[in-house]
Amino acid sequence: MSDVKGFAELRFDGVAKRYGEIVALHPTHLVIQPGEVFALLGPSGSGKTTLLGMAAGFVSPTEGRILVNGQDITRMPPERRNIGMVFQNYSLFPFLTVAANVAFPLEMRKHPKAEIVPRVRQMLAMVRLEHLADRLPAELSGGQQQRVALARAAVYNPSVLLMDEPLGALDKNLREEMQDEIKRFHAQFGATVIYVTHDQHEAAFMADRIAILNHGRIEQAGPQSELYERPNNAFVAGFLGEANLLHVTAYAAGEAGSRSVATQEGLRLVVSGAVQTGRMVCIRPANITLSPAPLSYANTFAGKVVDLVHAADSIRYRVQLNDQCQISVRVTSRRADARFEKGQEVYAQWEPEDVLLMEN
Amino acid sequence: MSGRPIIASTQGFERDVTRWILRGYTVLAFTFLLLPIAIIVLMSFSNQRYMGFPPPGWTLHWYEAVREQPRWLTATINSFCIGIPTALLAIVFGTLAALGIARGDVRFRKFLLLLMMAPMMLPHVIIAIGLYPTLVDMRLQDSYIAVIIGHTVIGVPLVFITVTASLRSYPASLDLAARTLGAGTWQAFRRVTLPMIWVGIVSGGLLAFATSFDELMLALFLTSPGTETLPRLIWDQLSFALSPTLAAVATLILVLSVLLQGFAVYLGARRSALKRAQP
Amino acid sequence: MRPGPLTDPAFPPTNAAPRQQYRLAHGKYWSIAREHAWMVVPPVAFLGVFLLLPLARVVFSSFAQPTWTLGNYAKVFDESFYLRSFWYTIEVAFCVTVVCLVIAYPLAYAIASSRGRSQKLMSVLVLLPLWTSVVIRSYAWLILFQRQGPVNSILLALGWIDEPLKILQTSTAVEIGMVHILLPFMILPLVSAMLKVDRTLLRAARVLGARPVKVFTRIYIRLTLPGITAGCALVFITSLGFFITPSLLGGAQQTMAAMMIEQAVSVFLNWPLASALSTVLLAMTVSLYLIYAKLTGGEMGMALK
Repeated sequence: MSDVKGFAELRFDGVAKRYGEIVALHPTHLVIQPGEVFALLGPSGSGKTTLLGMAAGFVSPTEGRILVNGQDITRMPPERRNIGMVFQNYSLFPFLTVAANVAFPLEMRKHPKAEIVPRVRQMLAMVRLEHLADRLPAELSGGQQQRVALARAAVYNPSVLLMDEPLGALDKNLREEMQDEIKRFHAQFGATVIYVTHDQHEAAFMADRIAILNHGRIEQAGPQSELYERPNNAFVAGFLGEANLLHVTAYAAGEAGSRSVATQEGLRLVVSGAVQTGRMVCIRPANITLSPAPLSYANTFAGKVVDLVHAADSIRYRVQLNDQCQISVRVTSRRADARFEKGQEVYAQWEPEDVLLMEN
Repeated sequence: MSGRPIIASTQGFERDVTRWILRGYTVLAFTFLLLPIAIIVLMSFSNQRYMGFPPPGWTLHWYEAVREQPRWLTATINSFCIGIPTALLAIVFGTLAALGIARGDVRFRKFLLLLMMAPMMLPHVIIAIGLYPTLVDMRLQDSYIAVIIGHTVIGVPLVFITVTASLRSYPASLDLAARTLGAGTWQAFRRVTLPMIWVGIVSGGLLAFATSFDELMLALFLTSPGTETLPRLIWDQLSFALSPTLAAVATLILVLSVLLQGFAVYLGARRSALKRAQP
Repeated sequence: MRPGPLTDPAFPPTNAAPRQQYRLAHGKYWSIAREHAWMVVPPVAFLGVFLLLPLARVVFSSFAQPTWTLGNYAKVFDESFYLRSFWYTIEVAFCVTVVCLVIAYPLAYAIASSRGRSQKLMSVLVLLPLWTSVVIRSYAWLILFQRQGPVNSILLALGWIDEPLKILQTSTAVEIGMVHILLPFMILPLVSAMLKVDRTLLRAARVLGARPVKVFTRIYIRLTLPGITAGCALVFITSLGFFITPSLLGGAQQTMAAMMIEQAVSVFLNWPLASALSTVLLAMTVSLYLIYAKLTGGEMGMALK
């Protein structure tokens, strides 16, 4: 049992979900620490919503158990699990006022009226909506409705807070505002949060740790920095940030104790670090430096700019290094000497540390 | 949505001509649709005994005749005594079916849907021919229950349709949200599902009542002189004489139906106001 | 771990652990489907006993009463009266459907292309007749078509005829009455389909050079086809079972299927014959629905939404 009431450890113990022949989720083991924000990230159909549904009680696992602070809740219906959930479509009760919505779970738990009123007010104050307490959900904007949903899900101090792509229905600016809001809320409130999203930037911003799912399997789990700097495989590398992916053909020893790898695409890369295995290599476009003349990087390759695309705060170049190999380079600098034109001959270079070795 | 002709012509004149032709046609068509009903209402106030038109004078005589004849009163009471239980039973069965099929993930869904809609799709006479002997076997013939059963059978699809529409009008996650917030099965139904679907339930029930109130075919087979309904009585009287008394009865029934259906429409309008809350 | 203000003692939080001990040993998994699945049982049982069983009984009786026999069907198919009545029923249904379609289409178009208030008003006016019973509406036509009735009076006054027409007890009277009653059932699906028409398609056609008439005939009618088929199916199948209107407005020559069946019972007290006739009518109705379902491939009834 957790000492600090209100925060729970959630443990998925080998849970899997099969629909006949189709495997929605392969046997999965995951431990979520009390009080942390844990993101489930992945494309549609990756199993993240299935996993969340199991925590909520909507999806019954074909095998495995779910434990909250050591207690097996696998077979419990949702109302006994003491979890809170925020849905993508808010799911506010349209026939109740904002205050009544937030009061609802307290009524379900038979709290005396005298307690409910101040508690609701306090909760609405936390999401800064006390002035709208007597409105109906239909009169609120999307962002406001989501804040009410948040207040409603948290008002009874659930041990776990589940969020199913809560910001999916909002436009970009509002989404970023709400991300701030939720983070601020969590800082004040605590609670273990499981946050499902398909947006890697949202996951990076919100979560302490992220699990990336694909085709019903957790590919890798850890803090964002770990996933970004040490991806296990090509999928993780490509999903979280941009990636240039190359296939390893051979390892070789180089000068002064360094190692190099030969790739299918015809490049020989100098690598560093302890990891000396792996069949794929990832170089982040942001870690590549372009210059008209070679600088003193261990990995230097000549090439030609074949395309360039302007983004809001950077330029992405496609550079052809040889017949089989074209890489992406992202340049954020706006200096004149960091700009290149189509057809220009350049040198692409990067440090050995930036060559990430992965299993596959 | 609309406001301009669907197929707009380029030339203004062409468009105006078609628009006026359409308008004229609409007036004619609506006249055709509504005239007979208007005639009935008018005739109920005519002071002529046979149904000539136009009536020479006006009177409330026939309405008094209706009030005085005990048989009309009895028939009306019977129709209510049958219609209200029918509506309630139809509500129970129709709502259960709608909930079960919409949220229950049952197998044979197509077959169940078919079964629920079947009474609406079959000629009542076939149902009557089969139901009467069945009820005789159950020793229920000539009782109120017989007619109630018969009318419930044709009333269930109506409630089923309206409640299913209500269930579809909001995301199912609303019910799930109630569960995560701590509501048990019955609590969630009472506090969340019911407020969302009660409009469908009530309008379906009203429809079932109105259908039962107006229904003749099953009534012919399943009622007895003791349980004679209003349509049955009208039918019997029709073979005797075309008296304006019937017109008076018809007008009264029309007013009742309009009130009931108007209420159902009002409820429907309220429901769509609530729907605007969903993202 | 983060402490938070909500853990202050004034508002003791609910347990960190789930609310109560829950018997897990033999429990099944909870699912919302499992909670709701049993709900179909009562309605299915009710309709099974009071709809399916009676229907089965009708079909069964037609073969089994008074003994195992096909004699009932022999009577149906040999005696020309019954065959003629079935044929007449189909004729009338077809005629009424066509007339309803022709009258309803422009009216539906007018409703679909009107706006806000007037659209609401027109919708109510279309529904209004539905709120009066079929008996009453048929009765109204009875009054209208009398010798001294309004129709004859007006025709005489206009000088179009010299003496009152005998309209009642003819097929025309029956058909006009049925058209009047079934018109809303054609109008509503048509309006529904017309409202769903994607205007941009029509605009695209105009931009591509089609003249309004062409747009209407080749494109618009095709786009409203689901409404047309739904309305026609509804009107046709409903017409097959009509009893009240032909009884009131028609004569002996205008006996339709439902009247036949009712007569078999009330006049001839021949329930087996009635069963046989009912089975034939049932077969006709069901096969028409199957055809319609095949053509549209949608969930029946729900297509009307």
